[in-house]
Amino acid sequence: MTPSELLERLAVTFKTEVGPAIEAEYPRTQAFLSAVVLQKLAMQLRLQTEHRDLDAQERQLLQQDLEQLLIETSAPAPVQEAFASIKIDGDAGLCRFIEALYAARDALGEEGFDILLGRVRQALRGSLDRRMAFAS
Amino acid sequence: MNASQAAGTTDDVPTRIRRYIESRLTDARDLKLANMQQIAVGWSHETWLFDVRWRVGGEQQAQGFCLRRDPGNALLRHLSDLGDQFRVLQCLEKTALPTPKPFWYESDPAILGAPFIVMEKVSGSCPNPWGRDGRQFYQTAAARGVLPDSFTDALTTLHTLDWRAAGLEFLGVPAAGSTEFALGEVRKWRALIDASGHAPEPVLTDLICWLEANAPKTERLTLVHGAYRTGNLLIEDDRISAVLDWELQVIGDPMYDVAYVLSDLNREGSDLLSNLVPREAFYRRYEAVTGFEIDEQACRYYALLYAMRSAAFWMSASGLYAEGRSDDVRLARTAWSVPVVLERAARDLGY
Repeated sequence: MTPSELLERLAVTFKTEVGPAIEAEYPRTQAFLSAVVLQKLAMQLRLQTEHRDLDAQERQLLQQDLEQLLIETSAPAPVQEAFASIKIDGDAGLCRFIEALYAARDALGEEGFDILLGRVRQALRGSLDRRMAFAS
Repeated sequence: MNASQAAGTTDDVPTRIRRYIESRLTDARDLKLANMQQIAVGWSHETWLFDVRWRVGGEQQAQGFCLRRDPGNALLRHLSDLGDQFRVLQCLEKTALPTPKPFWYESDPAILGAPFIVMEKVSGSCPNPWGRDGRQFYQTAAARGVLPDSFTDALTTLHTLDWRAAGLEFLGVPAAGSTEFALGEVRKWRALIDASGHAPEPVLTDLICWLEANAPKTERLTLVHGAYRTGNLLIEDDRISAVLDWELQVIGDPMYDVAYVLSDLNREGSDLLSNLVPREAFYRRYEAVTGFEIDEQACRYYALLYAMRSAAFWMSASGLYAEGRSDDVRLARTAWSVPVVLERAARDLGY
């Protein structure tokens, strides 16, 4: 039995045996919500490796594309510097890059800003879709 | 340490509530408490309802009370001060808005283990709009047509009351004709996100930067409830008997509340706003009574601000569980609500 299968079975037990056996409102809700949490955790665990690989591939592609786009859009120094932090700091670096884009919006011009942010958003959409597979 | 442990007493809360009420009603004789119940509503405070009967002289008196206590580890604790709530209710008592009458505020944790307020128990019910029974209740009430109008009327009363005359300036007044209100809200929720210790979220950063770059100017300032929807309104005989949950109120743009009413966050698959009000009817009545035109663009902005606020709530909630400051599994579950709300925001931003 894999860890995710174990969590799923526990979720079923909480949902069908523990929850219905509790009369008091608060602990009953806790039991049913525990089932929900275990179910989500099981799904997240099952998809973890696949998602981690896809995230890494997508991040690499994003960095490659941005490197080229930064040249094409003549991005100012603070944006270039923030780009460098994506490689080092992962999501925290990407957050800094997004902030740098907004801060340099005038310097980039609307077109340059839209191209760069659009490429970042494309990557974010992929990541969101994957997370929704276990979050929704 | 929870609030009871902090009180340094082994007495249960109902016993201490009784002792407190006796200390407030000093002229009372034959005081009896009945129907004491802790209700499972809200995530920020514990709520107790009870009825008291007593005699003064030869006369029988009765009053229903609602007590809200700060449990010490709740969601929005730093943004939802019971002293402020009490003061807001005092201010609103003088207005036409139906709200519970406030009786006492106690900041001394020695009494019940934590600060608390005592207010009137208003008659009425507050069906949960997320549950099957609640949805059925609002659907049936919508068909009768009285409650939807009362829902809109209470909001128009809230938005047209004279908040300066009521003494609500203490909430803070942003400059009219500026972006101060919207940016202030962004700052407030950003602080909660920062305090949550949550991992960096690039979609949220994009959303916050967009909100900062597109903040609308607020031309008209009113009292804003901050969470005006079914579930935060007490209902009796198809009318709003009290507007509840005074935790997020501000002086600001009335479109902030209107956007919340229009939001599909509060109507789970129903065409009716807040599971209750037909959209056209709401527009017509709200605009006619207030004289304010509903600003769709501002409402779109505030809908995105609500997405940020929801993300802040869920990050804060799941953070409380993760840090071991709460054992409520409802809070743990909200960790998975963060991507859901961000996905919705991303769609609204166009991706």
